[in-house]
Amino acid sequence: MESIAFKPSAPLTLGVELELQLVNTRDCDLTRAASDMLALIEKKKHAGDIKPEITESMIEVSTGIHSRHDALLAELREIRECVVAAADQLNVRVAGGGAHPFQHWSDRRIFDRPRFQHVSQLYGYLAKQFTVFGQHIHVGCPDGDDALYLLHAMARYVPQFIALSASSPYYQGVDTAFDSSRLNAVFAFPLSGRAPFALKWSEFTTYFERMSVSGIVESMKDFYWDVRPKPEFGTIEIRVCDTPLTVERAAALAAYAQAICRWLLVERPGKISEDNYLAYTYNRFQACRFGLEGEIVDPLGGVRRTIAEDVAATLEAVAVHARELHCEAPLALLASVARDGNDARWMRDAFADAGSLPDLVWQQAERFRSG
Amino acid sequence: MSELFFLPSWPPGAQALPWVALLLLAAAIAGELVKRWLHLPRLFGWIVAGILMGPQVGGVLTEAMLEDMRVVLDVAIGVVLFQLGQRVDLGWLRRNPWLLATSVLESGLAFAAMFAVLLLIEVEPLLAALAAAIGIATGPAVVLSLTRELRAQGQVTERMLLLTSLNCVYAFVVVSVLLAWLHQAYSNEWLSIVAHPIFLIFGSLFVALVFALATLVLLTLLGRRAEAQYIAVVALLITAVYVAAALNLSGVLVLLGYGVMARAFDVKRRFASLSFGRLGQILLVLLFAISAATLELDLLPVGAVAGAVLVAARYLGKTVGVFALAPASGLSMRKASLLSLALMPMSGVALILVRDMSAFFPGLGSSLAAVVVSALVLLEVLGAAAAYFALVRAGEADETTRH
Repeated sequence: MESIAFKPSAPLTLGVELELQLVNTRDCDLTRAASDMLALIEKKKHAGDIKPEITESMIEVSTGIHSRHDALLAELREIRECVVAAADQLNVRVAGGGAHPFQHWSDRRIFDRPRFQHVSQLYGYLAKQFTVFGQHIHVGCPDGDDALYLLHAMARYVPQFIALSASSPYYQGVDTAFDSSRLNAVFAFPLSGRAPFALKWSEFTTYFERMSVSGIVESMKDFYWDVRPKPEFGTIEIRVCDTPLTVERAAALAAYAQAICRWLLVERPGKISEDNYLAYTYNRFQACRFGLEGEIVDPLGGVRRTIAEDVAATLEAVAVHARELHCEAPLALLASVARDGNDARWMRDAFADAGSLPDLVWQQAERFRSG
Repeated sequence: MSELFFLPSWPPGAQALPWVALLLLAAAIAGELVKRWLHLPRLFGWIVAGILMGPQVGGVLTEAMLEDMRVVLDVAIGVVLFQLGQRVDLGWLRRNPWLLATSVLESGLAFAAMFAVLLLIEVEPLLAALAAAIGIATGPAVVLSLTRELRAQGQVTERMLLLTSLNCVYAFVVVSVLLAWLHQAYSNEWLSIVAHPIFLIFGSLFVALVFALATLVLLTLLGRRAEAQYIAVVALLITAVYVAAALNLSGVLVLLGYGVMARAFDVKRRFASLSFGRLGQILLVLLFAISAATLELDLLPVGAVAGAVLVAARYLGKTVGVFALAPASGLSMRKASLLSLALMPMSGVALILVRDMSAFFPGLGSSLAAVVVSALVLLEVLGAAAAYFALVRAGEADETTRH
């Protein structure tokens, strides 16, 4: 059985993973280019880590460990330059966004690696439908107990991350009416959703061992939770974000997670219990469906407000910590997103303007290149 | 008038249409058989059906009927070239200039190699140069048809399409210049040496530009309605084929240029989703079947050796060209070797070039034709097989299309 001993890491350090779309330059449909791109990138020295993902139309890039937002953003920009340069050489375009607006999942091909082939056999069409693109944010934790505390305390803010990052309004050629349709593809998996309530790492280990002995899971990778611990990194991993259209937005979301975590760890506001999850799936649905205009319920306080208002309130609460972490600028950016609209809004406007989904993808790729 | 005037006369009228339909049916059935039993792309079936029905083997179709089908063949090649042109992204050449260098090098080396071996087997220099120039072009119909049927995506596929469209242009330009020289050798008119290639090249490009701009204006007026766009573009394409012929311009350059420019000037990407679908498929079937039927197999005994040497030299030249700049253009050696194979097909455009040439200079056609046509015959199946092998081995074919 895999050991899940929690490897301590420097608190509040950040790492970001982004799944990116590879599209052709002709009609902007997803294209099988990951192997060719990776072969080209491997030869050069480059920042970060660039890996294949489950289908040939996707690559995953990840940063190293950073304690400050500006360094994280700088690395993300370097990675973007590297990926875009390789794509230019191969006549491929790279785009952000949580889902490709018009691809047909039956056209996708599974990347040739044993683990991916296994997932594909187990999940059938779900694996191909899982051609969705997310951002994962890692936040470093000093020990397992703090990790579990943060994991459950963050659950309250999951709708905010969904709404701020939402960039998958179109899926399979139609407007889904959702701001983030991507998460609907994730929810179809049996081990998705929230982590079980446990605040002690020893309790969590017991849970994992049971799941493992009974053969339900082999490793932590088999859990598709919204927020999950990553013991070998010593982090919690927030996995609900759609890949934003720009790396700047991606770095800002990471900075926001960092500021919230600092606030939670230092001030320990509120009590964490199973009751925190009473309205969890309802709020999450609101965030996916309506984005920042979604209405969330705080089951303990009985308050009901829009996610945009909730973001504004949280930004105020964490302001001191943002100053300590030197991340006021990215949080100001998110404040304007909450006010003026997320990427899903931008995509709907761009589509209304251009009148074609291929053209929308083209503009997404342009935005990724320059943003 | 006979009392039995209402009975059909025998043999039936020499109209081309029913024979085209018969050929289409036979080719389509052969294609399906090849697909189902051999799991190979349908185009092999289309070619075999064409050869079997042609005047040289089965004799179902006569030379005269094939002559009547020229119209269909011209339109079909026109549509293929236009589609190929549409796949060319001039921006890619700007972002990766080594690709342009690769195309010039592979074409230049292939030309040099073919020219050298033809001189060695004592072909007259100008004729050798002409044959070598014709051999520069990769068969556009084969690469396009395979890409579509296999739903191939990846670097071998993309570069095969790009290099094919570029080398078709080079082949055409070199042939025009050589023809002018040849004209001088026959008639000693200096003006035509300069004026004829210029007229052909710039005239064709100008017509291509006019059609591209007209198409884009029309698409703007029609809006994003796929059906209307499709009909309009098909009509314009057929017109372009006729205009090119009527003005004595090059169909190859006009249609290829039309496709390239229609994409290059399409800043709002109105064209993005235009696909030729089933009509394109029917034209492809006919293109393969008619050109296979037209192949002069009887020239093979005369030109087989020279043809085989030509094929080998051509492959060598293209391979060296592709390999030399593979690292610089960002292609692995493995994919470079597959790309060289993918550039093997030779048909359609070469056939047109030979025909153009013999139309201008009836005297010299036959001796050259024996060599070039033999190479064409050899590569008709071999070239397509090489390209098919390359796409599959590169892992760029969609497996679901192979059953």
